[in-house]
Amino acid sequence: MTTASAEAPVAARTPKTETLFTRIMRYKHAYAMIATSFILLAIFNYYPAFMGLVRAFYNYDIGLEPEFIGLGNFIKLFTTDQTFIKSLGNVAIFTLWRTISAMIFPFLAAELIFGLTNPKHKFGYRLAMIVPIVVPGMVSILLWQFIYDGVNGLLNALLKAVGLVDWQRAWLGDPSVALGAVTLMGFPWVGGTNVLIYLAGLQGITNEIIDSAKIDGCTGFRRVWYIDIPLIRGQFKLIFVLSILGGLQGWGTIFVMTKGGPGTATMVPGMWLYNNAFQWNKMGYASAIGLFMFLVIMAITVINMKFIKSSDTN
Amino acid sequence: MAQAAISKVRAEKPRRTGEAWRAFWRTGDWWHHLLLVILLFFMFVPILMMLIISFKTVSQFDVDPFLPTFPLHPENYARAFNIVWRYIFNSFIVSGVSVIGMVVLATITAWAFARYPFPGRDILYYLILALLMIPGELTLVPSFLLVKALGLLNTRWVLILPYIAGGQVFAIFVLRSFFEGMPEELFEAARIDGASELMTFVRIAMPLASSIVGVVTIMHITSTWNDLVWPMITVNVKRLMTLTIGLYAFRNEMYTQWGSLMAGYTIASIPMIILFAFTSKLFVEGLASGALKM
Repeated sequence: MTTASAEAPVAARTPKTETLFTRIMRYKHAYAMIATSFILLAIFNYYPAFMGLVRAFYNYDIGLEPEFIGLGNFIKLFTTDQTFIKSLGNVAIFTLWRTISAMIFPFLAAELIFGLTNPKHKFGYRLAMIVPIVVPGMVSILLWQFIYDGVNGLLNALLKAVGLVDWQRAWLGDPSVALGAVTLMGFPWVGGTNVLIYLAGLQGITNEIIDSAKIDGCTGFRRVWYIDIPLIRGQFKLIFVLSILGGLQGWGTIFVMTKGGPGTATMVPGMWLYNNAFQWNKMGYASAIGLFMFLVIMAITVINMKFIKSSDTN
Repeated sequence: MAQAAISKVRAEKPRRTGEAWRAFWRTGDWWHHLLLVILLFFMFVPILMMLIISFKTVSQFDVDPFLPTFPLHPENYARAFNIVWRYIFNSFIVSGVSVIGMVVLATITAWAFARYPFPGRDILYYLILALLMIPGELTLVPSFLLVKALGLLNTRWVLILPYIAGGQVFAIFVLRSFFEGMPEELFEAARIDGASELMTFVRIAMPLASSIVGVVTIMHITSTWNDLVWPMITVNVKRLMTLTIGLYAFRNEMYTQWGSLMAGYTIASIPMIILFAFTSKLFVEGLASGALKM
């Protein structure tokens, strides 16, 4: 007892590190369990993310030595690169429409389904909404490309059928309408996933609330406006954020449909990154675009997280 | 799709006794049905167009591109299948192998994070969560340079390994919270009965987690199946192309052969429809689950 208390001050530091060490040893199987995951993440995720941050500050063309140029890439992006500046406007339009349409149309469809009295009907429509999503994204993009086709496309055929021959055009080849065509693809913009998310929210509203609203004479559109929308705020926020992020990163659609063309009519930052990196081997410059996109996406995510937190405590 | 179509028809035709009809009008359901059917019609226009054209020869298409023409020409499908089957097979291998690897790694890692308070656990966990914030655009160029340096270009591994690595992030996040939510008594009881740690994981935790694992599995399969940009830059030999980029090449090859082209698109849609038919419940959960709400 006395020896122990006498020794304690001397060994004050060692026991702590010892316990840490012994604790590490005690849980060595846990480290072994997570090791494979971390090795893969280190190679394929952390290292590229780190290099993405670093290379953005280099002039790095494949085959040449990387050369550190500080903010050179970014200065070039925002001062002399007209295509990049234009791409920012394009992606803003593209994302804005995707977000607005995702807030409105799937919600209306979800309300229509939710308002049905027969649960079997609800189930049937819900199922039918999913079928179009099951078709691979690539197939639906290619189908829309065909709809917009200047010679054989469905849209031109429909215009002809209703006598609007003057309106016919190569929708993806005409610089004045190409961005609009790419943005408005996917009519009626209901996109099954979002309908399901709204519907799940609506079905989470308890019957008591709906019944008491009914007693107070709050039905139909008034209920939608005063009860449903406030109560599924969470779903609206989720879809709001997902659509913004999806819009900013959704350049795969543009890649397949127009490759950013004609000219730069539908150019978006992701596509411009691709062109710089894989057409012209300008890896440093492309990394700078990537870093810029990361910062924008990060800012949106952070703002959103603050936003969600503050409204949840209310 | 057939299943969905059947249940849709079923849903739209309730037993029409007089009572049901009156309720139909009184509740105002009829205008919901009207609007929904119009909406669904427009949603299905591209798919209907694909199916109709897929049975046309070139000359039939020239005469009447968008309405059904007879006789139907199913041989378009044979021609398209000869090309498209390889892409489907490649996607099947890539998505299949990567989903197995991803699920094995993610469950083990998530289990370790959930069950063992090892030193540094929180830091390591946040290190994983941080990856959810990293967009593909930041890592696209360095990842490409990396796999190029590793000599992985134009192999299956160039898709499989990054899919395992990247896919596990979200899965670990979801599975860890699931494992943590499991009551301690369950494991206590198993331990008293003499079960080892491994046994509790395999015999208790995994069966209970089967549906959340199913959701994660399907989300991973659909996202890798539909991935476009990564395979586009890393694979350019036809022998190894996955479905998305294979279809892109196929489109250029079959341009103006509309019938065969659309038949190819239809064939390309079948695997996902089969997956959906067998796992519709998990599929829907995966699409609209609360797990998505972070």
